[in-house]
Amino acid sequence: MMRTIEILLVIIILTGAFIISSFFAVLPSPRQVSPTNLQRLALTTLQTLDVDHDLSDTVFKLSNDSEWNDLKVALSASLPPNIVYNLTVYEVQTGNTQLYKIANTISNAESLGVSTSAASYLVASSNVTFNFTPEKIGERGYGGTLYIMNCSDAYGWWITGYAPRNLAEDLYNLLSPYFQATIMVQNTSQLEMILNGAKISSSPYENIANAVVINTCGEAVPIPSGYIATQDDWDAKYCYFVGQKVREYNWTWASIVGYPFYYVSNTDNKDLKTQDNGWGIFGMRKVLDAGQPGINAFLEGLDGWPSYVYDSAGRTAELGTRPLSSGTIESCNYYGIYPSYYQTSSRALSESALKQLYDLNVATYIFDSYNGYVPGAVYKNINSGVFLALGLTRTPDIRLTALALLSYYRPRLYRSTYTTAGTSRLVVLQLGQMGGI
Amino acid sequence: MAGSTIDHIVALTVFLGALLLFITLFNQTLQTAVLYQQHKVIASKCTDMLDNMMLNPGYPTNWSWIGPTPTSFGLQDPEFTQYKLSPFSLMRLRSLTGQRVDNTRNNMAYSNITMGFGNFLLVPYTQVVNYSTATALLGTNGSYGFQLTIAPTITVSISESKSSNPLILAVNVAGKGFPLSIANLSYCFLTVNLQSEPYPSYTTSYGPAYTDSEGNAILPFPEITDDNTPYALIVYAHLGGLVGLGYHQRVTSTQQYVVPLIDDLSQKSVLIAHSYDIHPFGATEEDLYYNATFVLVTEDFTLREMPMDNSTGVVGQAKPNRVMTIPTTNPGIFVVTYKNATEGGIIMMPWGTSSMAFTVTFGEDMTGKEWVATDTRQVIVDNIAYQAKLALWSLKGYQVIG
Repeated sequence: MMRTIEILLVIIILTGAFIISSFFAVLPSPRQVSPTNLQRLALTTLQTLDVDHDLSDTVFKLSNDSEWNDLKVALSASLPPNIVYNLTVYEVQTGNTQLYKIANTISNAESLGVSTSAASYLVASSNVTFNFTPEKIGERGYGGTLYIMNCSDAYGWWITGYAPRNLAEDLYNLLSPYFQATIMVQNTSQLEMILNGAKISSSPYENIANAVVINTCGEAVPIPSGYIATQDDWDAKYCYFVGQKVREYNWTWASIVGYPFYYVSNTDNKDLKTQDNGWGIFGMRKVLDAGQPGINAFLEGLDGWPSYVYDSAGRTAELGTRPLSSGTIESCNYYGIYPSYYQTSSRALSESALKQLYDLNVATYIFDSYNGYVPGAVYKNINSGVFLALGLTRTPDIRLTALALLSYYRPRLYRSTYTTAGTSRLVVLQLGQMGGI
Repeated sequence: MAGSTIDHIVALTVFLGALLLFITLFNQTLQTAVLYQQHKVIASKCTDMLDNMMLNPGYPTNWSWIGPTPTSFGLQDPEFTQYKLSPFSLMRLRSLTGQRVDNTRNNMAYSNITMGFGNFLLVPYTQVVNYSTATALLGTNGSYGFQLTIAPTITVSISESKSSNPLILAVNVAGKGFPLSIANLSYCFLTVNLQSEPYPSYTTSYGPAYTDSEGNAILPFPEITDDNTPYALIVYAHLGGLVGLGYHQRVTSTQQYVVPLIDDLSQKSVLIAHSYDIHPFGATEEDLYYNATFVLVTEDFTLREMPMDNSTGVVGQAKPNRVMTIPTTNPGIFVVTYKNATEGGIIMMPWGTSSMAFTVTFGEDMTGKEWVATDTRQVIVDNIAYQAKLALWSLKGYQVIG
């Protein structure tokens, strides 16, 4: 009998243990086991409503403005029917013990239930102005002069839809803040002057050495009359001469689109203005009328070859659509210049050929190399001279040229400091789930 | 002695019985806890996987344009951050819901994301990513099954209230949980002229409108005086950052019509086929004269036409499918008007799923699956508000063997 009583005692103890352990081992409700991620839903809802800055506009409006009703409707329409919300907008204050002050609240329910999640989103007023002061190239060392070809006596090719002047103006607007002196080369006579080391402006900052020269004529290069001759290879020799000058002055020569040095152009010269480039453009001639001798001659001069050697071999490839390199994308964000992420390259230069034949190494990839060819890069000769080649198809996006030069020189941007007081608001969207367990 | 033994036997029996009972009870609690733990893991995996697909463009980042299969799976638009999806990556997901379409002319099979008659999106199987590839790239092959649904947040429904004199179209705009009241509408109305020879011509008109407090709007078109005039209406609705899109068309020829088929995405080429190449209806196949155009939506939600090369042509029994090139990589709507001797109509195809707010369902059928975890994100596809919903379940069973 004692044994049975003992066993009954054991059973009582076990029962007690089970009840006590069950009391502590509370299982979650199914909703807690597999919850809808309300926090993410709230954040993505705020991002969606702000896609065209509608949310940013609305939260700075007075609480009786009709746009708050639009926001209410948009919130109700975008959330599932079983989700209730409370949206609170806080004004961000500074110099105050209270950092956040409620500006307005909207909700579609008296209570959000016991289980809620919230996401916050900081928006800036459209009245905020953001200023920066760029560092000038050449400010801390050499160079600092930008020459932009704006030659009135030369045509462009493969800049379809633009005249060189349009491109020159756009480049001026984009790049002049970054250079100590930005000078338009107005005609081929002025080009001849800088090729021969003479200044063409009264700017005290003009400096021939270490300058940047942008050829806005696309596949054509302006040629001064003095270099147009009668012998067969005058045009290729001119390209060689330009290459020599790039080396001599340690210039950065920028080719904005297509084959560099494919044509030469001068619309005033009596001999050249009667010739056409094969496509009905008079005052322009294809260099040697065969292959790609122009670019090869230029690179020979750039590499310091003792004399011009005829070479018409093509060292380009058609790569199709290629994305910008990661470094360029970083520069897009830094400088706030956003060309299309993808560009079509039909004139990509061979990286190995440029290195082996002309001692040109890639200093900055604008596009990554693909199958040994580079759609766009800044090349630096091991001795002197820099060459930017964007082997893209027409029509040129001049922002890429600007971005390439900025990526290479990396001038810093000094941001203006500004306070967030009155210009920023914190939006908190709290969501609750109704019904079910 | 006997009493003591009996006492022992009774005590032991009761003890063993009680022990068994409590082991069972404890085991039941433990089983439930472990089961819950497993389900919690599935729910976490669902959230992670959805973010992984939404916040990653895949690799190559422009895989929707350049090649058939990415080496890493993701749907984010590579030109943006946050939850912005590429309308062209979505185009390249093999549809779960649409029935496969075969073109008898080129013997190719097509993934079908068609949203009713006249609104086609047919992409060759050779150019879409199938479910097994996606699971392999996501690292869930054999461990989890999923279904991804990307549906527009705003539904713009259009119906015909009066067929002519004037044509009156009723528009209703609603969100997931509420009608979109006092929303701004902007529309493009295309009227097809079947009298034009030899190709049909079309005229376009544009206009704004507003919805009432219930999300309804009435659009009258007095220029439509004939019940048999084909037309198409495309309506954009926007309010407070939400943008939705709807469309409606009327045709007089529902058996003999043109079918646009994606030919090669990397070349931006589209095939124009005769409907009989897809499924013959029995009657004699007649030549169809078509006239195509491409419309883009601008930032202020108006539509703009973009000229196309070789925009007119003929398809029919003795004529091959025609190839056209879309002139842009921006999303838009490819519109084809067509006619035969007596009838005609208008067909639309989105270039990028968002331009016609198509719903994309990708993955496996979840019917009969146990304990399906779901999660939702609000996403943007080329400025159109969408909701991405992922349903995920374990393929390794969900029971705990106790």
